[in-house]
Amino acid sequence: MSLAGVLTVARLEFRLRIRAGRWRWMLGAWFLLLLGITALVRAAASQNNIGSGNVGTRGAVMFGVVVLVVLALALLVSPALAAQSVNGDRERGTLATLQVTRLRAGEIAVGKLLASWGTALVFLAVTLPLALWCFVEGGLSVLRIAGVYLVTALLLGIVCALSLALSALLARSTTSGVLAYLTVFALTVGTVIAWGLLTAVTQQRVTATAQQCEDYVGGTQTTEPTGVNCTEVPYETTVPRTDRTWWLLAPNPFVVLADSAPAGPVRRVTLPDGRVVEEPLDVDVLGAMSRGLHQIRVKPTPVTTPYGTNLEVPSGVTGSAVWPTGLAIDLLLAAGAMWVTTRRLRTPTDRLARGQRIA
Amino acid sequence: MTGPDVLGPPGPRPFAAPTNGVHARGIRRSFGPVHAVQGIDLDAPPGHVTALVGPNGAGKTTVLLVLATLLKPDAGEVRVGGFDPVTQAGEVRARMGWSPDVFGLYDNLTCREYLEVMAAAYSVPKRARPDRAAALLHLARLPEKADAPVHSLSRGQKQRLGLVRSLVHDPSVLLLDEPASGLDPRSRVELRDLLRRLAGEGRAVVVSSHILSDLEEVADRVVFVDAGRTVGQHAIGELPAARSIRKYRLRALDGPALRDALERAGVGWVEAGHAGLDVEVLGGEPSAARLLAELVAAGVAVTAFAPLGGALEATYLDLVEGQR
Repeated sequence: MSLAGVLTVARLEFRLRIRAGRWRWMLGAWFLLLLGITALVRAAASQNNIGSGNVGTRGAVMFGVVVLVVLALALLVSPALAAQSVNGDRERGTLATLQVTRLRAGEIAVGKLLASWGTALVFLAVTLPLALWCFVEGGLSVLRIAGVYLVTALLLGIVCALSLALSALLARSTTSGVLAYLTVFALTVGTVIAWGLLTAVTQQRVTATAQQCEDYVGGTQTTEPTGVNCTEVPYETTVPRTDRTWWLLAPNPFVVLADSAPAGPVRRVTLPDGRVVEEPLDVDVLGAMSRGLHQIRVKPTPVTTPYGTNLEVPSGVTGSAVWPTGLAIDLLLAAGAMWVTTRRLRTPTDRLARGQRIA
Repeated sequence: MTGPDVLGPPGPRPFAAPTNGVHARGIRRSFGPVHAVQGIDLDAPPGHVTALVGPNGAGKTTVLLVLATLLKPDAGEVRVGGFDPVTQAGEVRARMGWSPDVFGLYDNLTCREYLEVMAAAYSVPKRARPDRAAALLHLARLPEKADAPVHSLSRGQKQRLGLVRSLVHDPSVLLLDEPASGLDPRSRVELRDLLRRLAGEGRAVVVSSHILSDLEEVADRVVFVDAGRTVGQHAIGELPAARSIRKYRLRALDGPALRDALERAGVGWVEAGHAGLDVEVLGGEPSAARLLAELVAAGVAVTAFAPLGGALEATYLDLVEGQR
């Protein structure tokens, strides 16, 4: 595979895209929509009961919401950019005229990916002024903004690669378009549903004990740990083992984005004993999501309290990050998608999908 | 006759050494239950225009896709420009130009941009691309359309642009699928001249069509296919039916004088209106030549003496009907 071949295809595709659509209007509408959302988030973060105590970090609060909205909307745009790339060319009869040239299948595949990904990145780049606004509002590091944008860019590329593979696999561009959106749905909503259901059905049966005491000698039974005539009463219960199912949630783009965001905003808190500690902001969405995700990775252990013994997640223990696994799964999916796309573009071909034409 | 022109016991296989042009033996290809091609032989030597003739659905497009390195045949030996399109597709692509029966153009590019992109796809060096595009636009007689978007071209202009696209890397083998479809008469004449010129430069040109009158004037050789098989390969001057043609159309400046002369020669005729008279000549071309000599000797000012329908059409109909 040569860079020159990839660039030939990417430039051609990019030029065709620019001339085919009303991009100026679409990008303008996109920016105005997100500008409105950012303004609303800023207004909400300034309300007394939400974030007024964190005025110095209002930008970080805004940023958390805005990037999640940007990701959600960009995930809706990206499939449309790639899901008809191969079979649309087949329908127009332009693919075969490229395939008989010296271009290799891999060059056509990567060139098409770069063109659709590049277009998605234009949409992302348009939102950079909003990130600047958040930065000016305070509480944000440049590193956090850069990290979040880098990961968002990667996630959009992954969605483009998956959509491209669907367009190479399926003969009809309408079918691949629908399936590309279902794929995004599966990654975002599907992973959450699957994780919830799997966690529910894989709960661990355990025998826990509860303290049964008397409130005074000869008195009525109580679960209060009075220390009077106490007995341990065993009972059967179930404990969700999210430490075994967290990986299902990992490939979710929102999970990857929230968990990978570098160093979230903190505030200084003075403890009663006079020590000053930094604690994360509750109203920062990305940080809150990330902390929750770390929590589900912790393995429950038997915890004994005056009330009894049960299998629980010990308090004060946090698990490790979810995003490296999630991003790795997503990148593997994208690599597989590119492999499929290249295979389907390779000629001479020996098999054709139903209804597929070569030229 | 040169080469294996008539189907029969296969002669020496042409695959021993790399050869130019196109050689194919026994191409077979099925699409599921449909046997699109079940034994096509084809030879297209350099410097010749070889016509691939057959009814719709005979397998012409499938064969061209195999030759163009796009489709893997189920069986058969194929060489294009001396290389195997399946195992040496890259070598074949460097030497072969293909133009499909659909335009396959990018509507939103200008003609110049389109040809330069295709030149880049064929690894033509960047500095050479503008000249190459200009030369091809000139060849396609579209220089004034260089900066016009492709979608503004007429059907014939698109056809010509698609044709010169396949020449962008100066290939030695040219595969054209139905290049004449949708062309007006003038464009057809120009296409004919262009194909002759390309063959004259030493290229092997393969043209598929079912419009026989176009091919008769441009082709040197004809490969007849029907129902997925080759039913005959012939040099155009040696078509079997050329010897057995019986109907000729005659016209003279003086109609009654022509009729008198024919009567004296003992030849019957059928009136064909203003087009002239149709006569039946027994004994093939020698008899026809004799009759013409007689008429001229009798002082008839003959302006037209032409076989009716053409040898290609007659042979084609003979072959196709013989199969049924």
